[in-house]
Amino acid sequence: MATQIPSLDDPQVLVQTPATIYDAIPPYAPRTEREAEFYTLRDGEMLVNMGPQHPSTHGVLRLVVKIEGERVVDIDPVLGYLHRGIEKLAENADYHHAICYTDPLEYVSSLFNELAPVMAFEQLLDLRVPRRAEYIRVLACELNRIASHALFMGWMALDLGGLTPILYSFIERDEIVEMLAALTGQRMLFNYMRIGGVNGDLNHEFLSRLGDWMGHALRQVEANTTLLNENEIFLKRTRGLGRLDRRTALSLGLSGPNIRACGVPYDVRRAHPYSVYPELEFAIPTREEGDSYARYLLRVDEIKQSIHIIDQLIHQMPDGPVMANVPRRITPRPGRAWAAIESPRGQYGCYAISDGTDQPYRFRIHDPSFVNLQAVVPLMPGNLLADTMAVMASLDPVMGGVDK
Amino acid sequence: MARSSGRLSPAGRIVVPALGALLLLIVVLLAGIASGIIPAVVGWIGGVLVANIAIVRFVVAATAILLFTVPTAFVIIFMELKVIAFMNLRIGPNRVGPWGTLASLVHGLKVLSKEDFTPTGVDATVFTLAPVVTFVASVMAFMVLPFGPGLFGVDLNVGLLYFFAVGGLTVVGLLMAGWSSFNKYSLLGGLRSAAQMVSYEIPLTLSVVGVIMLAGTMSLNGIVQAQSGSFLDWFVVRQPLAFLIFFIAAVAEANRTPFDLTEADSEIVAGFATEYSGMRFGFFFFAEYVNVFLLSGLAVVLFFGGWTAPFPWPWPIHLLVAPGQLGLGLLAIAIGAPIVGSLLLALPLWMLRSNWPFWQAWIVGLALFTLLALGALGIYLLINLEALLGIVWFFIKAYAFVFTFVWMRATLPRVRIDQLMGLAWKWLLPAALANLFLTALAILVVHQ
Repeated sequence: MATQIPSLDDPQVLVQTPATIYDAIPPYAPRTEREAEFYTLRDGEMLVNMGPQHPSTHGVLRLVVKIEGERVVDIDPVLGYLHRGIEKLAENADYHHAICYTDPLEYVSSLFNELAPVMAFEQLLDLRVPRRAEYIRVLACELNRIASHALFMGWMALDLGGLTPILYSFIERDEIVEMLAALTGQRMLFNYMRIGGVNGDLNHEFLSRLGDWMGHALRQVEANTTLLNENEIFLKRTRGLGRLDRRTALSLGLSGPNIRACGVPYDVRRAHPYSVYPELEFAIPTREEGDSYARYLLRVDEIKQSIHIIDQLIHQMPDGPVMANVPRRITPRPGRAWAAIESPRGQYGCYAISDGTDQPYRFRIHDPSFVNLQAVVPLMPGNLLADTMAVMASLDPVMGGVDK
Repeated sequence: MARSSGRLSPAGRIVVPALGALLLLIVVLLAGIASGIIPAVVGWIGGVLVANIAIVRFVVAATAILLFTVPTAFVIIFMELKVIAFMNLRIGPNRVGPWGTLASLVHGLKVLSKEDFTPTGVDATVFTLAPVVTFVASVMAFMVLPFGPGLFGVDLNVGLLYFFAVGGLTVVGLLMAGWSSFNKYSLLGGLRSAAQMVSYEIPLTLSVVGVIMLAGTMSLNGIVQAQSGSFLDWFVVRQPLAFLIFFIAAVAEANRTPFDLTEADSEIVAGFATEYSGMRFGFFFFAEYVNVFLLSGLAVVLFFGGWTAPFPWPWPIHLLVAPGQLGLGLLAIAIGAPIVGSLLLALPLWMLRSNWPFWQAWIVGLALFTLLALGALGIYLLINLEALLGIVWFFIKAYAFVFTFVWMRATLPRVRIDQLMGLAWKWLLPAALANLFLTALAILVVHQ
């Protein structure tokens, strides 16, 4: 039984559509072959809207899931519910101003959102950043990475129906967020990076909080993982689920933990070193399995590596200024710059074109969540409906970054 | 009248007419008693009641159980809020009542006061009936559960069979809700519940056949009596595998984590209850919590000796003197004991707290004496009234199970539907059959 797709040409289509097909089918004629195929239902198939309002979509992602019974036949992610036009807003602001627009992009790891544009603008200006500022940037970013991964661990469990881990991981995240609030003055949208340095030097409260936290950070990670790592139900739910092979992952252009879980040791911090990462010693954990469980474990390993990096940063922290001499009004020479960093979700890039005025001519963000989200389409078919959320959680997209 | 009531305070406006009505009632009653009408009517009603004692007992029991479900659900909801909060390192409800104990009551009132909304497109009749069916099925199963010696709704000789038969009706309500809601999540939830509960009925029922064979009866009262003695006589000792199967299947049957697929919030929003609001939604959750208590109670009855104590009370207490024989001595004790006792208790307080006047210490001593006397009386009653002790033991055991249900909810993630069905058919069913075979064999060997 092929369901008739209502046409947008008919103005009464939404009013007169009988309630029986009042569902995920869009009220216009299919625009692409893929759309036509997806929205044609065979016998026994049914479309289910997961989102944009759903208890466990991360943000406002809408997944149109075609199911036959409980089994997923096909999936169609619909984006754009959180589009705020941040790139365009940034193009209409001057260079200093553009940075604060980037904060709410990927709201779980805001410092990375600031770091990439700042680095691109510094390239445009040929600016050298003081070494202490570089160290502080990396320190703050690695803390933010841990906070982001900690949140991931809780989310993953919550999407599988575990209530408690998210509260435990929020303890860890909150300690870091309080720490960063002491450093930057904000809990979530930090607005800390500046062109040529950072907003303020390390202060006493931040350092004392950091010292307290470093004392128990590793133990806390271990404690938080005990609820999940060897939990039989968690293993059964995630092991072997959403297995991505290396070739697919590479062809989709994934990055970050998602590709490292497929055995590709690609990490921007090592592949295209930036800031002070060449001076630091850290491992790039990889896993061969490429399934949801591997993606989970990899992030746990990354937390441990980040703690190791922070340990080195504290001990090697140089003295000196935290801000270069940068004028209030910046007019870089015409040109273009690309800066990429390793955010908790993968390669986070910023592409900026200067036309010689004090506003960027083009300001483009390459967000890893958006690229990683592509993996949903090849991963889902054949799984059960409950697995859509497990796979989605393990890919860890943040819709603020996807929709920009 | 209007002017005089207008001058009264709001409380007075209620009290003054109430006093008038009371006066009228007293006059009518006196007249009725004097003329012999009321005694005749009371006598007639009493006669009818005595003649139909079985029906009276049933009605009283059904009403009591129906009323009992409300505090049960409230207590379990409160436990769920508070226990999970402690396990999550949260504080939990702490605003309404001491330690937030009234939070679940307020939840209930909130649900009551919400709009009773029927969305467009639903099958209104089925949609309305579904919560009722679910709730009534749970309450009906309550009827055979023995809370204490002699405390049960009806003692059916096929009590266990009745329990499973009626308890199985819950799924009809859930399926009705899922089907009639006109919502895909509800439909999925309803179908999941049908598949899940029908599958788990089988290991659940098979696991208790061993118990039936050992007890030689299907009456829940008989099963409890077969386990009386010490905790070594409980069937969990002789049927550990059956208990394990029963407990896993019971968790699935009650739709609790890790088997709460029918209302898996991260997958299908709220499952069968997605379109429900207000008291209809409340009934579903009443039914769920009643089911949790019911299955906990059944586990206690079948495997943990029901209302029997885990060990017989080692020191039987007998009063050496019958109180009636003392005559005037009893009066002397009743007057003298509080005075002497409270003085004795007050003396150390007075000596330790030098700034207290004696009368203050005496009042505290009297309060302490009252507490001690009441405590002693309570313990005496508890030990000597078997029914009271039975209820206490039953509730301790049942709430231990309820706590386990809540504990599991705080700890475990949810299984997937195929894993759930695989567990029922590939593991629990063969294990239950093996347990049945072994039990039968053991009984045969022992009897020969």
